[in-house]
Amino acid sequence: MNIDLTIAIIITMVGASTPLLLAALGELVVEKSGVLNLGVEGMMLTGAVVGFAVTYTTGNPWLGILAAGFAGACVSMIFAFLTLSLFANQVATGLALTIFGAGFSALFGQSFTGKPIKLFKSIFPDYLTEHPILKVFFDHSPLVYFSLFMVFAVSYFLHKTRAGLVLRAVGENDHSAHSIGYSVIKVRYGAVGFGGMMAGIGGACFPLLLTPQWVEGLTGGRGWIALALVVFSAWKPTRLLAGAYLFGLIATMEVYAKAAGGGFRIIPSELWASLPYLATILVLVLISMRHKMSSSAPACLGKPFISSN
Amino acid sequence: MQIRFEKKLEPSRKMLFATPILVVVLTMILGAIVFSILGYDGLGAVREIFLTPLTNSLKWQDLAVKAAPLIIIGVGLSIGYRANVWNIGAEGQYIAGGLAATGMALLTHNMSGWYLLPLMGVAGMLGGMAWVFLPALLRTKLKVNEILTSLMLTYVAIQLLNYLIFGPWKSPTAFGQPQTVLFNDWQILPYIIKGTIVQAGAPIAVLIAIMAWIIMSKSVFGFQVRTVGSAPNAARYGGFSENKTIWLVLLISGGLAGLAGMLEVAGPFNRMVPQFPTSYGFTAIIVAFLGRLHPIGVLIAGVVLAITFVGGEIAQTTIGLPNAAVGLFQAMMLFLLLAGDVLVRYNIKIVRARRA
Repeated sequence: MNIDLTIAIIITMVGASTPLLLAALGELVVEKSGVLNLGVEGMMLTGAVVGFAVTYTTGNPWLGILAAGFAGACVSMIFAFLTLSLFANQVATGLALTIFGAGFSALFGQSFTGKPIKLFKSIFPDYLTEHPILKVFFDHSPLVYFSLFMVFAVSYFLHKTRAGLVLRAVGENDHSAHSIGYSVIKVRYGAVGFGGMMAGIGGACFPLLLTPQWVEGLTGGRGWIALALVVFSAWKPTRLLAGAYLFGLIATMEVYAKAAGGGFRIIPSELWASLPYLATILVLVLISMRHKMSSSAPACLGKPFISSN
Repeated sequence: MQIRFEKKLEPSRKMLFATPILVVVLTMILGAIVFSILGYDGLGAVREIFLTPLTNSLKWQDLAVKAAPLIIIGVGLSIGYRANVWNIGAEGQYIAGGLAATGMALLTHNMSGWYLLPLMGVAGMLGGMAWVFLPALLRTKLKVNEILTSLMLTYVAIQLLNYLIFGPWKSPTAFGQPQTVLFNDWQILPYIIKGTIVQAGAPIAVLIAIMAWIIMSKSVFGFQVRTVGSAPNAARYGGFSENKTIWLVLLISGGLAGLAGMLEVAGPFNRMVPQFPTSYGFTAIIVAFLGRLHPIGVLIAGVVLAITFVGGEIAQTTIGLPNAAVGLFQAMMLFLLLAGDVLVRYNIKIVRARRA
């Protein structure tokens, strides 16, 4: 395989992985605090449509990303209120959030369908982004560097800071955390909001990084793959990075197999398109065969917290 | 002053049945406000979506057509949810059922006889069950979460549908359109009322809901499902196998979703087309919850959601409301219902704050 093609594949793979990585990182923090938010897909769709709309109207992708993160955090608060303050079933509420995000984005995005924006490309000077070798490091959207930064930021926060320790304590043993004076509900509100912001930004990657337009259901189930990735990573941010890039590679194979034709034609394009979903199932199987999932999952995951006083 | 929640010893039955009604009314009020803020005719939207389908008798047959698949899928899902088994890939099982029925129809296309439709029905159910087989196997053997696996397979089902109708099943006479041939007269559901569009799907849906009600309330199986869902330890102690229950409820929900797929493809569609995935499988989740996971409740909830679908189409033509608005209304309904659950399960008390 020649070097140009390899570099091209790497760049595409990194781009395809970034929305997954961002959304999954957010969900990882949410789950570490003991909350299971299945609404990632809905929050991503919300972020995607708001990010597109703001970028299209203002011409400024930075504003688009900010707005997408804000919108994601806003809709996640519906989930937080229902599950944390009213103790609603987390599985059902997460599903409702996904249905809501799909409806909202379809309605809000209707007037933007078919309109073009510019992809949010690398901000490095041309001699770096067009260099045949160095572009593998520099020809990426700022969103890609942001996602990599967040892997280390989340990892540092969870394992090296006091606030991270509190968040993990809330997820592992909510009643103990409560009894030594930490507000379980406040910590979880914060975590859900962070997860919403990250999913929103992850959603904005679709129009800004991958396909510079809005169509209904743009995220195509990637939010659910992000959820599976969190399980795959055993709730470790660095392993999440590897998982996201593996899925990005699978998605990239579809693109290149279609373009390459030849021997790849034997496999129908629909099968390539199914691969990320089938791979998700395979990964879930492999994890559960290797070790009991319950050993690494936060102990309070999905259980409501009702304070006794 | 602060608000305190105290868990009730038993869920309030009065609230259990009152909240869904309250929720529909609240959705209408909140919907009117939200859509007015969004710059649409909010009151008009609520009138067209929730009331016109009921007052305009010409629309009643549309309600029956739309409610049937929602009820059939919803009944199956509600049985699973009762047992704490979260099949959310009913859309995929619905598509797989439709495809299996189509396969049977194509195989028997030059035959005739009353038995063709039952054959297609069996194929549809088996198709739906096949699509839930892997999630059931993985959940019972390896404890793999069925939420993600059943949902992932939905996307695979859509790809399979595309592959078949763009490829091997494409009709040679459709001028390049990606669709199968029209089914023959013996493969299309009969109309039960002459001069309307109501086909056999509607009475089958009612029958299934009633049968499920009897089975769930009178049989040991119904008791087993409820016990595994609400008290897994007691169920184990009582000798109910959890894995067997999971298998049964998943096969039932998959089979019913597959049957709904068959009734749709042999009913309103008459052939397999790319527009077949109509997200009935996802909407049926709302139906199951709004119906309080009770078969008769699901029957009523199916009609309510059908009203919003039919009403959405009316509102599109009369006041230019985008079709996506319906999804927003449905999501609001589910949010309000989940919020209302707090009234069912908790006593809410307002107490004076005490200094700790």
